[in-house]
Amino acid sequence: MELEKADLCAIGAGQGANGPVLTLRAGMCGACRQLHFPITAYGCPRCGAEPGRVAEQALDGRATLLSFATIHSRLSPLITPPCVVGEAEIAPGLIEEIMLAGEESQYADGMAVRAVGVEITRGDTAVLACRFEPAEDAP
Amino acid sequence: MTVLRDMRPVYVVGVGMHRYQFASDTNYIHMGLTALRGALKDAGVDFPDIESAFVGCTGIGMAAGRILFSHIGWTGLAVTQVENASASGSSAFQLACLEVASGRREVSMALGVDKYGDQVRAVAKEGVNRLSDTATIPLVKYALLAEYLKKEKGLTAEDLALVASKNHTNAADNPYAQFQKPRSVADVLASKPVMGDFTSLMCTPRGEGAAAAIVCSEAALKRLQISGIPVRVLSSTLESERPQVGREMGSVAVARSVAQRTYHEAGITAEDLQVVELHDAFAIEELLYTETFGLCKTGEGHFWLRDGASRIGGQCAVNSSGGLIAQGHPLGPTGVGQIHEIVQQLRGQAGPRQQPDARVGMAHMIGLGSIAIAHVLRRD
Repeated sequence: MELEKADLCAIGAGQGANGPVLTLRAGMCGACRQLHFPITAYGCPRCGAEPGRVAEQALDGRATLLSFATIHSRLSPLITPPCVVGEAEIAPGLIEEIMLAGEESQYADGMAVRAVGVEITRGDTAVLACRFEPAEDAP
Repeated sequence: MTVLRDMRPVYVVGVGMHRYQFASDTNYIHMGLTALRGALKDAGVDFPDIESAFVGCTGIGMAAGRILFSHIGWTGLAVTQVENASASGSSAFQLACLEVASGRREVSMALGVDKYGDQVRAVAKEGVNRLSDTATIPLVKYALLAEYLKKEKGLTAEDLALVASKNHTNAADNPYAQFQKPRSVADVLASKPVMGDFTSLMCTPRGEGAAAAIVCSEAALKRLQISGIPVRVLSSTLESERPQVGREMGSVAVARSVAQRTYHEAGITAEDLQVVELHDAFAIEELLYTETFGLCKTGEGHFWLRDGASRIGGQCAVNSSGGLIAQGHPLGPTGVGQIHEIVQQLRGQAGPRQQPDARVGMAHMIGLGSIAIAHVLRRD
C-alpha cells in the first residue's frame, strides 16, 4: 500500500498498534547546523542556505504530545470528524501539528507518542497515512 | 528607519461602510460604492478630490478596484489593489497613509471590498506537505492553544464564551455588523461545537462587505475646507512571524512585537488607549492579545475580561464594533472597518457603543502567514 505524504515520512522498522512504525524526514543544514522539518526542495528555512547544503536526517518518529483536541466539524474535506489533532515536539524545539489515531480518551499531555502508518481511504484508494499513537516508552 | 510620526501629519477625514453580511447576490460594485460614497459624504469632499486609492481585496479577482471606480468617475485616480489575506484592508490603509505622509499625495483612500471567494491560498501551491491535514487552518492552531491554556492558566470555556458574548452584544448596536443579536454566555456555549471548547459563536463568520477611509494632509484639510473632527494617524507598523519559540504561537509573538513597536512609534503606552479593535477571529485571540498588547498583565487576560475592563465603559473598550466574531470578517474590508470604528469612537459618534472620553485608539490585525499590522489613531 502506498504511503501518503512520502516526502514527510518513510516506513521504519517495527510495528505499532495501528500500523507500521514511520520515521520522519527532517533536514539538517550544513551552514547553520540547525534541524528543520520537513526537508524541502527549497533549502534551509532558518538561514536561507541553498538546498545542496541541507542533508536529510531521519527522525525516529517518537514525539512528546503537548496538547490535543477533538475536531467536531468538517473543517477540511480531507478530514472526517470526529478526529483528534494535537501538537507534539518531534525533536528538541521542533513543534508540529499531528493527527492522532483513535479517540481523545487515549491521550494525555506530556505523553510519549510515535508515528505509524494507518490505513485510510482517499476516494477509492487505500493509503497509509501518518498518524500518531501512544508509545510504550518515552521518546 | 523613518516612521510615520517623523513625516507629515496624516488625518482620517472620512469613513464609510457597507454592512457586513453572509454571502449574497449583492454585487461588489454596489457594496464598494456604498462605502465610498459614505466616506466622501462623511469627509465633505468629492470623488475627484481623491488622488490615489488602495483597494484591499482577496476574493473578487484582478482589477476589482479599477472596475469599481469606473462607475463613479474617470478621474485618472492612481489605483493599486492590495492583497494581504485578513490584513488586506489594513495594508491598504497603511499604503494610503504613507502616500500622504511622504508628500506624494494630498488625499488618498483605502477601500476594502470583498465577496466570499474561492479562498485559494498560496500555501496550497507551496509544494510542501504537512503531517496534519489541518496544519494550515488557523482555527485548529488556536483551539489547540486554548486547550493548553486551559490546563496552564485555568482558562475555561466560559471565558471564551464571555469574549464572544461581549462582542455579540456590542454588535447588536452596530448597524454595519453581520450579527446584530445579543448573545449570552449560555447561548455561545450552546452553539454548534467546532473543536475542543470552541463553538461556532466563538468563531468569526465568513461573509462580504465594504469599508472605506479617506486620509489627507494638513494642507488638504485647509484647501478642501474639511470641517469634521480630524483624527490623526500616529503610527503604522507591520511585521511577519519569526520561528516559534516554546509554546507561544508565532502569530501571538508577532502581535506583541508589532504592538510594542507601534506604541513606540506613536509615543504612547498601552495605558493611553481607550479603544482597541483587534483580531478576534477566535475568542481565545482576544484574551491572548489583551495580554500581549499590555492592556493587562501576562496571564491575566481572562481575569481582566471577567472584571469588565474590556467592555464599553471599562478601562479600554475592546472590539466595541463587535469585532471579527460579530461585526464580521469579510477579509478585504476588515482592517478598514476597524479604522471606521476607531474613528467613530474618537469623534464621539459611536452612539450606544460610545466609549466615554475616547481619545486614543489602536486597530490591530493579523493576516494569514502570519503578519501583524497596527495603527494608532488620536483625536487632535
